[in-house]
Amino acid sequence: MAQVDSCAIGLTRRSWLRLGIATAVGTSVVAVPVRSQSLPQSCAPPIPQNHEASNGGSCPYPIPWLDKNGNHNQAAGPNVELSNIYHFKGKLARCSGFQGMGADNQGNRHAWGTPTTDYSYMAGEYWAARQAHQGVFAHT
Amino acid sequence: MGGLTFSADGKTATLQMTNVPIIDQPRWPAMDAETTPAFLDFKLVFTATDESVKYEDPMRQYRFVGFKAIAKLEGSVRVPSIDFAFKTDPLDMSKCDFAVMGEEVNGKYYEPSKS
Repeated sequence: MAQVDSCAIGLTRRSWLRLGIATAVGTSVVAVPVRSQSLPQSCAPPIPQNHEASNGGSCPYPIPWLDKNGNHNQAAGPNVELSNIYHFKGKLARCSGFQGMGADNQGNRHAWGTPTTDYSYMAGEYWAARQAHQGVFAHT
Repeated sequence: MGGLTFSADGKTATLQMTNVPIIDQPRWPAMDAETTPAFLDFKLVFTATDESVKYEDPMRQYRFVGFKAIAKLEGSVRVPSIDFAFKTDPLDMSKCDFAVMGEEVNGKYYEPSKS
């Protein structure tokens, strides 16, 4: 859903969050617990056949005043739009500023995290292609 | 694969995913930054506190109502092509500066609060 643009303090080439992560996870919301899987099919607008109406694709609509590429270049915090999707209602949690320690496979200890190390989930209904869709999304 | 689960009281949410395909892009954001396939496993746990929050902007048509939360994260990254891996310390060792959990409405679903 979005891009992680954090960088780890101390990690050099293998930065934990210079990993440019673009992860979209979607599935149908049936009940709790919700299971999810990567989105395999395209949500691009289909080309109408036989003079059918064109209602756009089922991709979630981005927040209009934020990065149209979905990078959501706005840190999570009080009194900001926390959603990555416009025309959405449902459960949402967001966090930023993770920090901690870890180790690589050589046993070297490194710190990880910055103020923009940001994760979230969204689970609910969004509107696209003139109809409601159910989905679960993770922002890493 | 992974899943999002909620505790019975709704105060704890756990998002756990494994083998998420990602990219390692050390020179990001350079325009020509090369990428290498990598994989991410992570477990993220939100626990709501008793402190409620409400963020609303009628001009931008959004409202979030929920609680401040405690968020914990553990994860690991693998870059197979260079035999690199990194694993964070266990969940409780992480810290987070800001976290909230609750419910959001925006766009066509938004109606301004009465008060």
